[in-house]
Amino acid sequence: MSEYAHPEVLVSTDWVAKHLADTERVRVIESNEDVLLYATGHLHNAVHVDWQTDLQDPDVRDYIGQKPFEALCSRLGIRPDTTLVFYGDKSNWWATYAFWTFKMFGHADCRVMDGGRAKWEAEGRTLTTEVPKYDSTDYSAEKPDPSIRAFRDDVLAHMQDGGALVDVRSPAEYIGEISHAPHDPASEAALRAGHIPGASNVPWSRAANADGTFKSREDLEAIYLEEQDLDPKAETIAYCRIGERSSHTWFVLKYLLGFKDVRNYDGSWTEWGNLVGVPVEKGEPDDDGDLDD
Amino acid sequence: MNARLQEIADELASVPRDLQVELLLEHARQFPPLPDRYQAARDAGLGRVHECQAEVYFFPEVTEAEGARVVRLHADIPGHAPTQRALVGILIDAYDGATPGEVAAIPDDLLRQLGVSQLLGPQRQRGFAGVLARLKHGVAEAAGS
Repeated sequence: MSEYAHPEVLVSTDWVAKHLADTERVRVIESNEDVLLYATGHLHNAVHVDWQTDLQDPDVRDYIGQKPFEALCSRLGIRPDTTLVFYGDKSNWWATYAFWTFKMFGHADCRVMDGGRAKWEAEGRTLTTEVPKYDSTDYSAEKPDPSIRAFRDDVLAHMQDGGALVDVRSPAEYIGEISHAPHDPASEAALRAGHIPGASNVPWSRAANADGTFKSREDLEAIYLEEQDLDPKAETIAYCRIGERSSHTWFVLKYLLGFKDVRNYDGSWTEWGNLVGVPVEKGEPDDDGDLDD
Repeated sequence: MNARLQEIADELASVPRDLQVELLLEHARQFPPLPDRYQAARDAGLGRVHECQAEVYFFPEVTEAEGARVVRLHADIPGHAPTQRALVGILIDAYDGATPGEVAAIPDDLLRQLGVSQLLGPQRQRGFAGVLARLKHGVAEAAGS
């Protein structure tokens, strides 16, 4: 088994269990799709960060700004040198979203607990409903780092240059049969269905095992490098519908496979599929091995 | 909203956010089990609300009781989905045994009226809008209107 490109970023449930008491240096953060899940029981000493109510601006379609981010970290007793460990429900789908957001603000040491909540519970480890309280810090963040975030104009230019794009939505969304996820409300639909021209289609969940852990490096290489022919040295942009599923794929490409320059397009299909005048492609990928082998 | 829903809304509106979470979890814990007669249909994937991120299955019925039509609400939410269990649990609590007319009159902005929109954030509210629309549609169909 070859190691991941950045193995230090992924920690095991064992590692977390051993570090739970080290609240001086380590802060464990739970981020879920379900906002009440943390309150039903969580890891001892873990704090809760909600992807919507904590990380998104309530008015503008954007992430929170630098000041609210600093306030959030200060409230959670985080210092710039604190090791952060993210975990959550659904194969760490939202944990990687929070991870990406903290990286955008330049937090140095961020990690993900492989397998998330599901694996921790499956192993019969302890959960508590006690909410920890930490002394406030005076956190100062970096200005948001645009190098891991793609905006629509970047994506358009990237597409025109024939750059690599990974659409991580379901095949039905990618093909353009439907303009919203099969399990999502139509009110989140875009006015046009399909995908950004030239994008490959790799549903995000293909990177996860049934127990919520990430697939091995070999298995991931077989999907992204061999089957999809993506080049780790080439600029790559991942997108989905609102940028959460693609944070998971962004994490996989950047940290597990060592892609040099990968960005998450958080505007994703709800922006692209509503933009006036941008090109939209429909149908199956035309040149990828997975459909014609 | 009917009297029972109003009661639940008033209770939620009168407490701070931390207690709102506790109240919602209480509703999630009281979520009634799916009757045996619906298990097979659920296992076959019938009744699934596809507009929602969580797995939600609805089996609304309209029965005759003493000359009046009564709505019976049965639902199942497998897996770890306390938020949906709480919200759907509130609907069942308030509308199981109600009339089809009462169900039709459930406000579409129910979450805002319950005072929990801020707790949930915008994306989750849209998921619940799908659940509510499905419930109203299912009851209207069962009532033959």
